[in-house]
Amino acid sequence: MSYRIDRRQFAKLAAAVAAGAVLSNTAGAAEAFRLGALNSITGAGGAYGPGMLEAIQIAVAEVNAAGGAAGRQFELFAEDDQTKPDAAVLAVKKLVEINRVEAVVGIWPSSVQLATLPITNAANVPSFNVCGAPELETLDDKDLVFQFYASNKVIGAVFAEVAKKRGFKNPAVLAYNNATMVAQAENFRSTWEAGGGEVADFIVYEPNQTSYRTELDRALSKNPDILVLSSYTPDVTIILKEWYQSGYDCKLISPGWSITQAVADALGPEVSAQATTISNVPASSTEAYKAFHEAFVARTGRQPEMFATAAYDMVIVLALAIELAGASAKGTEISAKIRNVTNAPGNKVSTFAEGLAALKRGEEIDYEGASSPLEFGEAGQTTPAFGIFGFEDNKLALQEVMTLKS
Amino acid sequence: MDWINITNAAINGIVLGLLLALPALAVTLVFGIARFPHAAVGDYMTFGAYTAILVQSFMSASLVAAALIASAATAFLSLFFYAWVFRSLSQRSPVSSLIASIGVAFAVRSVITFFAGQSQYVIEAPLVRAWNFSGVRILPTDLYVAATAVLALAAVFFMLHFTAFGRRMRAVADNPELAAASGIRVREVMITLSVIVGAFCGLGGMLMGFKAVVLPELGWELILPIFASVILGGIGSPVGAVCGMILFGISQEIASLYVGASYKLVLAFVVLLLVLLIRPQGMFGKIIAVR
Amino acid sequence: MEFYLIAISISVLIYMLMASGLSLQYGFTGLVNFGYVGFFAIGAYTSGLLSLQGVPLPVSFLAAMLLAGALAYPLGIITLRLGGDYLAIITLGFSETVRILLMKEDWLTRGVHGVPGLPRVFDDWAGVSSGDLTLLLLLLVVNIAVFALIAYLVRSPFGRIIASIRDNEVAVRALGKNPAAFKTRSLMLGSALAGLAGAFQAHYVTFIAPEQFVPLITFYVWIAIIVGGPNRILGIVVGTIILLTFLEGSRFMRDFVGGVSEVQLASVRFFIIGMALICTILYRPNGLFPDKFSKGK
Repeated sequence: MSYRIDRRQFAKLAAAVAAGAVLSNTAGAAEAFRLGALNSITGAGGAYGPGMLEAIQIAVAEVNAAGGAAGRQFELFAEDDQTKPDAAVLAVKKLVEINRVEAVVGIWPSSVQLATLPITNAANVPSFNVCGAPELETLDDKDLVFQFYASNKVIGAVFAEVAKKRGFKNPAVLAYNNATMVAQAENFRSTWEAGGGEVADFIVYEPNQTSYRTELDRALSKNPDILVLSSYTPDVTIILKEWYQSGYDCKLISPGWSITQAVADALGPEVSAQATTISNVPASSTEAYKAFHEAFVARTGRQPEMFATAAYDMVIVLALAIELAGASAKGTEISAKIRNVTNAPGNKVSTFAEGLAALKRGEEIDYEGASSPLEFGEAGQTTPAFGIFGFEDNKLALQEVMTLKS
Repeated sequence: MDWINITNAAINGIVLGLLLALPALAVTLVFGIARFPHAAVGDYMTFGAYTAILVQSFMSASLVAAALIASAATAFLSLFFYAWVFRSLSQRSPVSSLIASIGVAFAVRSVITFFAGQSQYVIEAPLVRAWNFSGVRILPTDLYVAATAVLALAAVFFMLHFTAFGRRMRAVADNPELAAASGIRVREVMITLSVIVGAFCGLGGMLMGFKAVVLPELGWELILPIFASVILGGIGSPVGAVCGMILFGISQEIASLYVGASYKLVLAFVVLLLVLLIRPQGMFGKIIAVR
Repeated sequence: MEFYLIAISISVLIYMLMASGLSLQYGFTGLVNFGYVGFFAIGAYTSGLLSLQGVPLPVSFLAAMLLAGALAYPLGIITLRLGGDYLAIITLGFSETVRILLMKEDWLTRGVHGVPGLPRVFDDWAGVSSGDLTLLLLLLVVNIAVFALIAYLVRSPFGRIIASIRDNEVAVRALGKNPAAFKTRSLMLGSALAGLAGAFQAHYVTFIAPEQFVPLITFYVWIAIIVGGPNRILGIVVGTIILLTFLEGSRFMRDFVGGVSEVQLASVRFFIIGMALICTILYRPNGLFPDKFSKGK
């Protein structure tokens, strides 16, 4: 069996949103800060969206328990973008026009961020995402958009670095046909070739197939020593199954969201032992992650995956920036403070309460997030550290942590 | 491309074709007897695959049990929709049944996602490695899949051609009014047809899930290749549906070596257009089926 | 609030344009087009890509209509001499083929990355919001014009022939008319309207990607015309409003009804779409507003 969204948990969560809205209406002296969560609950992002919303919930509770940001409690409004840009446009219009949210967090697919950006930017509403689409860096003219996840360029480059470091000579690439995965695979290729290597084969495959054997056979016929799988969980499960059945021996490398513990559980140790995965959660290394991990497990009974961790950071960062900008700050005034609270130099803080206290003392702070140390560049992009994972006895284990110069 | 790759692709295509011949046969029988393109067969397949998952998690891990219960449950589902929807629509234009079948497809899929969510499931079976004949790979599990499909197809062909009931079915397909006038109970034929459609789609869906993974869109994505193959074989012709599907499976897999796998669906479309342009009755179709 | 209402109304009017086109095909001519979204996509990409090359919007909108209409022609002549079922299958294949080509031919369409930054229809008109209001008015005018066109066509000799094709094709053939030619014309006209709707959608959302053009959109439009009544203008209007109220209304349900997960809510939404198709066909085959003169189909 595999991993499914726990509906009961989710139902509780939705009820909590409603209850939270009621409570905070009656609670605060200062006006509540209306926060929009735009998550991909259904559609292709449905595997990650619910966890992201739960993480946002946890962060909102943390902020409110500490007395709010600049004295303002957070009031959460959640919407499903269905992983579709046109549904997202209406959802974000509802958030902005009806719920009058002052920031939108939790956006997963780049298509949604690209479609909603003109609306949120026009309304002077910051939006935080995990997209990693290069176009965003140029389209965001007001510096309201922040990407809490590694850009594709970086992940592709890490694949190449790891493969090179481990002495592979003949990689074959299989990439899922969407913007993120193709860009990632292309960046692997360019980094690999810049390092003097050659790519045995480069195949972009169509999602939602029942068999990838034809694509796989083509890749394997070039005798690769490693398969680079820019993929998601559903397709990689089939690919790995067919790869094992083919009897061909080689190593595998994929992003962390693709070959997960659940995939290892479904396919067994003989498959997972060959896999290396790259993710940008420096698991267990930061205090923020430990605290978030504990809260997430306590709340949901599941392990948080990386996007959820990033979603948690979005709310904390936003709250810290509001605290610094002041209770009456809007849009660009808030987003202008984001680099102040996240980037070095400053006293390193790991929780909202710590940051709040330090800011109240008038100190410079540097929030070390649960997802990464969070150092935002010029265009609102992060340059995170990467965990390199393997499977030992079919259990996911961190092997090393790696940082890249961006 | 060397011959080893082509052989492997062809083997893959044959297995896939045999498997999809089950729903294709269902489609062509409905086309021939009830006279409308049944767009819900894909989601009947999905239903079968999810039933197999359910059986495995709560009753027994046995694949045979999962296959049998999946077929039976899907047959029941198909009967239900016949009794509720398609029976009343049989007197109206085929377009009514066609649109209703889309509604049935959506209703079935939404019930599945309501309870099972959007995530994928895996039908549990031991992973085995392929037999390797100097590059040509044959997978033991593929042989089971193909053998199961062949057995089921053989059973229906036997029924259609060597039993009195099969003759009645073919009579209804040829001319329902005449068949009714000569004392054949059309209702009985329709009920049997619904059972076959459900059982075959359920079995096909379970086998598909066994070969790949189980997702809510599993069956819907296969609708177009199945329809293209049925038209290629000749609407209403059971032999045509099976041959058309196998031929289509092989050509799809081999073609994707050259043009890229993404164009599989485009290929289905081009085949469709060409058949309709050149020989609308398909390989084995009778002119009568082309209305 | 009013901006949200404007946004909803724009969506309603874009869907209404599509519903008019599909209604012309199905309701007035009896053609089953299951690939309607394909023509919508052609319109969106044609106008979107042309506008990025500096082509003025009125020209790109016209091109969107012409190309969408022209692509319907070969589908029509191949299938319309055969039965209606063939058109259904071939058009479903067409829309999926279009979507895959949009995904794969990235030299033209930027593939799965989508095309961001399309110009708005009234960009220079004092801010985004008032531009939307002007767009709303334009869409209103276009819809009324389309209704007038349909009303005119239905009363014209052409309209009488397509209606009789729908009701009794053999009789039309006996009169020496070629039904396929008339059906093809109706197919092209309806598809051109989908292209126009696509152009509006592209320049309203300002971002187009292949994943926006999935078959589900086709069936949304089908729901609209079937529920309302496929061969009456009042049916088109009411059907579209019911559809969008339902699609958007379920969004608000979450705010008031706790305890429903979004995954389940999406399933419920999808279930209602399916059930609406089944039940309307079974129990109200001519929709809420049946054409007084048409017999049950």
